[in-house]
Amino acid sequence: MSSHSTSSPLTSQSEPKPSVGKPYSQVHLKRAGKKLLLILPPTTPKEPDKHWVELLQDLKYCLIHHKGTWTPGTNVHLMVDNRLLDGRQFHNISEALEAVDLKLTRVLTSRRQTAVAAATAGYSVEQETPKRELFTSDSSNSPALSEPLYLKTTVRSGITIRHPGTVIIQGDVNPGGDVIADGDIIIWGCLRGIAHAGAKGNPECCIMALRMQPTQLRIAEAVARAPSENPDIFEPEVAYLTAEGIRLKSALNFSKTHVFTPKAKGWTERATTKP
Amino acid sequence: MSRIVVITSGKGGVGKTTITANLGSAIARLGFKIALIDADFGLRNLDLLLGLEQRVVYTAIDVLAGECTIEKALVKDKRQPNLVLLPAAQNRTKEAISPPEMQQLVAQLDKQFDYIFIDSPAGIEMGFRNAITPAQEAIIVTTPEMAAVRDADRVVGLLESEDIKKIHLIVNRVRPEMIQLNQMISVEDILDLLVVPLIGIVPDDERIIVSTNRGEPLVLDEIPSLPAIAFNNIARRLEGQEIPFLDLMAAHDNLITRIRRRFFGN
Repeated sequence: MSSHSTSSPLTSQSEPKPSVGKPYSQVHLKRAGKKLLLILPPTTPKEPDKHWVELLQDLKYCLIHHKGTWTPGTNVHLMVDNRLLDGRQFHNISEALEAVDLKLTRVLTSRRQTAVAAATAGYSVEQETPKRELFTSDSSNSPALSEPLYLKTTVRSGITIRHPGTVIIQGDVNPGGDVIADGDIIIWGCLRGIAHAGAKGNPECCIMALRMQPTQLRIAEAVARAPSENPDIFEPEVAYLTAEGIRLKSALNFSKTHVFTPKAKGWTERATTKP
Repeated sequence: MSRIVVITSGKGGVGKTTITANLGSAIARLGFKIALIDADFGLRNLDLLLGLEQRVVYTAIDVLAGECTIEKALVKDKRQPNLVLLPAAQNRTKEAISPPEMQQLVAQLDKQFDYIFIDSPAGIEMGFRNAITPAQEAIIVTTPEMAAVRDADRVVGLLESEDIKKIHLIVNRVRPEMIQLNQMISVEDILDLLVVPLIGIVPDDERIIVSTNRGEPLVLDEIPSLPAIAFNNIARRLEGQEIPFLDLMAAHDNLITRIRRRFFGN
């Protein structure tokens, strides 16, 4: 007997508008040799200046949750691209970094005023001349995913985790919290918020959670709501995409019993002859 | 050094100000010096709940404008000599004051008191920022309602990113009979979601409304009541004492539920 393919049918909705291809509007911290790169999101015409308080909060959140992955006193190079920053804002950033034993040493920018402010504040500055590109730089074209993001935290209401790769969270995702990943999403805890795997359109991506109670699940371009009634028992489940929409299944043997077939536009049960 | 505690919730109407007034009075009665700061500029209520409305002469705005000293603006409580109130201005909005100014106000009170409580306004905008900036620890107030719990969760996240790590939770307006009938979210479910240490459970009680209207905090009432006991227990827990939580269910444990539990194990 083949096990029931869906532990609970999800209500599929037609063609949503997921944030596919949206540039990462989040602060990123990246290791580069002995130093760390702190990348602030670029200013987009739509969102000319993300509110500074909000950005600073993102930065602090990012630092707190990556704490312990660097040795104290590590130098940080700040990459701000075309963002306009003043001396006070550099001071804010440097304070936030010092609070976690990091040192801001160098600023890379393509904007003159920012470069001047950074130099006045006493940082070594590298000003790239803004390249006039025929085609606007589109980071979404890069096919390679970045390395997985591992977080040990509760993703609370109002917090969005965006990552151009797989996201692993040790902790819960609460209602109102979002996890948006270009790769898979693995939640070692309870998923109560929204998870969007394969946000750039990869239908092969999966969402796994120890306890699946999501507000909404999204994989590539598909959206599903969880059934309104909770099942009697919770077990670790995996959400995957089939031609009919997003389905849930016990996570235990998923990788053995299911296979992704591009032709079927989703995951199908592996054809095995059972003894 | 004072312990600077912000009392906040995100959602409005869950009882932040009531809890500030009652908990403040309970702490003062334990013999500690405490200052209550109303950070709800434009919608001040704390003076009303303490029955001090008529004694307000200067407000925090006057102190910042240099029109009076902070000592002059502090209103002494009429019952508790250990309790003072720094009132907010009613004729201004939340934007009338900035986080550094709030910090400056609190710094002037620091060292004179054992506790400084800041009563935060609802929301997560400027007024909330003003209230949390000077604080070292926080008390989150929530009620057993989905909306209040959701907002509390958001606030916990904001406090964490502001590096306020010492956070305690008060679940207010609990109605045991509704929890028993599964019509209300239980305290356990709230804790499961928020993952914040619990410091008190306050039962819903009509006497709170009466005491609020009279401007007499319920903890000072001569007739003991369950909410008053809960507030006194929270005050002592803040001081580090181990006090078991009130068994609110016990009051509603009638014969029928006991028989049912005996036979059906429920």
